[in-house]
Amino acid sequence: MSMPHDVDAGGRQAGAAGGRFWNGAVWWKTWGDQKVLLLSLAALWGAFPWLYIWLSAQIEMPAFQNVLLEVIPKNWQKLSGVPFSEVATYAGRVALAFVDPVVVLAATVWGITRGSDAVSGPLDRGTLEMLLAAPVRRSAVFLTQAAATTAAAALLVGVLLASVWSVVSLGPWAGRVEPVRFVPAVLNVFGLMVCMAGISACVSAADSHRWRTVGIMCGFYVAAILAKLVGRLSGPLGWVGYLSVLNAYEPQRLVGGGPEAWSLLARYDGILLGIGLLAYAAGAVIFSRRDLPAPL
Amino acid sequence: MIVRTAALTKRYGSFAALDGCSLDVPAGEIFGLLGPNGAGKTTLLRTLLGYLTPTSGTGTVAGYDCRRESLEIRARTSYLPGEARLFRRMNGHGVLDFFARLRRECRRDAAARVADRLGLDCSRQVGRMSTGMRQKLALAAVLATEVPLVILDEPTANLDPTARGVVLDLVREARAAGRTVMFSSHVLSEVEETCDRVAIMRAGKIAHEQSIDDLRRGHRIHAELRAPFPGVPAEFTGRLAALPRGDRGVVLETDEPLAPLLGWLATLPLAEVRVEPVGLQAVYDRFHRPESPR
Repeated sequence: MSMPHDVDAGGRQAGAAGGRFWNGAVWWKTWGDQKVLLLSLAALWGAFPWLYIWLSAQIEMPAFQNVLLEVIPKNWQKLSGVPFSEVATYAGRVALAFVDPVVVLAATVWGITRGSDAVSGPLDRGTLEMLLAAPVRRSAVFLTQAAATTAAAALLVGVLLASVWSVVSLGPWAGRVEPVRFVPAVLNVFGLMVCMAGISACVSAADSHRWRTVGIMCGFYVAAILAKLVGRLSGPLGWVGYLSVLNAYEPQRLVGGGPEAWSLLARYDGILLGIGLLAYAAGAVIFSRRDLPAPL
Repeated sequence: MIVRTAALTKRYGSFAALDGCSLDVPAGEIFGLLGPNGAGKTTLLRTLLGYLTPTSGTGTVAGYDCRRESLEIRARTSYLPGEARLFRRMNGHGVLDFFARLRRECRRDAAARVADRLGLDCSRQVGRMSTGMRQKLALAAVLATEVPLVILDEPTANLDPTARGVVLDLVREARAAGRTVMFSSHVLSEVEETCDRVAIMRAGKIAHEQSIDDLRRGHRIHAELRAPFPGVPAEFTGRLAALPRGDRGVVLETDEPLAPLLGWLATLPLAEVRVEPVGLQAVYDRFHRPESPR
């Protein structure tokens, strides 16, 4: 067996199959790892808007408006984030799909599941040891996974948008509302996914057990929901809402159309994507500098 | 020297997993690292490869510093962890493809040949492989990587005797190809059989270092005499250790050639005599018997 000449040549990158931020083998492996979850969520988000709008259409608009505007107490409006009069429209009713647990929880589950698999997952399983025995930068492993997770999130919201677009164009409310109105709401879902994945990956970068990372992130998510609720419902404690990342997840406010919706999206996704990307950057630094315990 | 450490230390709070470890490993040798669990072998190897940052001291591999240049070190090293865990959803072929894609020094065809020699069925999913099969798969990826230094942490653990033999043959072939192999093991016989040099670790330190050639020169002579032992003649002082055993018994230990001693031995009033090589076990026991000084 002969020695590869590039090893003894003294090149600083000798043997490394990738650079500081990228590794092709890790990219394809990450797609393999996330394939099952990706396909499951794609199926869910492909079907959900059709099912949701078909079920919603079973209640005629006048009856819905009557319940929303006459029966429900007015102060509950604080919870919806938009006036009930806006909810009681076709666009408003479609927008409710984006705050339905099927969308919100699926986006969160995606973020936590994929983010927690960045470092503490393979560290827990012991597979990181063999991977990092190769001349691969830790930052490249971390950021390549982040890129694959983000690309898959983009695919998922693409499926969601396609499904919403098709049901709004062809479903029971066809012609009542323009499908393009829902693009900002879908992009807000993407922002939430990147934000949760980034924070989870950052926690994972500092942790050694995936179950603990998932636990921490579930706690963080519940705290974010509570902070948002407290901020909404309590006047004196309104500032608490600003502590919640979910304060920037308001897809129901983004379906009004026009430049206002896009400028609001820029603010919301600026916050969500900004936090997500900062968390990824912090995670890459933490992972690059920390000691890695031997597999147990 | 391909590996050189000087006072390399890794502390976790007040506990020193590696305590001022100084070691030189010459290029082209098979170097054995011995010691009980917790002696610091794995910590030493993982510190050299950059998994752990040393608390103090220095460590270099092929001239590259383990604190600042671990990427360069890993480009010149192939490492088998103590417990090699692989991607459970892939099959054996997928794992070997992955490592061949991950680093260009890992030769996919060579990995297939190693797997074949180890009798491994690569079509099976890793999650359905036994511990020994996973170990063979990891060995195929590691031993097919053409780099100057191969580090194997307990490579034969979990393997059947046939596979152990094949692994030791592969280690010797790696040396014949000009590579250095550093391996830790608890099986002293295979270390003695394969290595050129060994270091024995204790409590994070290198307690002893010896070449196997020196070890093979060492002999122990158990003698029962019909009269009291007259003592070691002046010409052998410093080259022959005499350890009395009872009134008429003596154990003589030497690292020198035996021939010059035989004439003197013949003059002793011998009732019984037995000559045996010192062996690695005896050397190891000097440092790791419960009564050995700490």
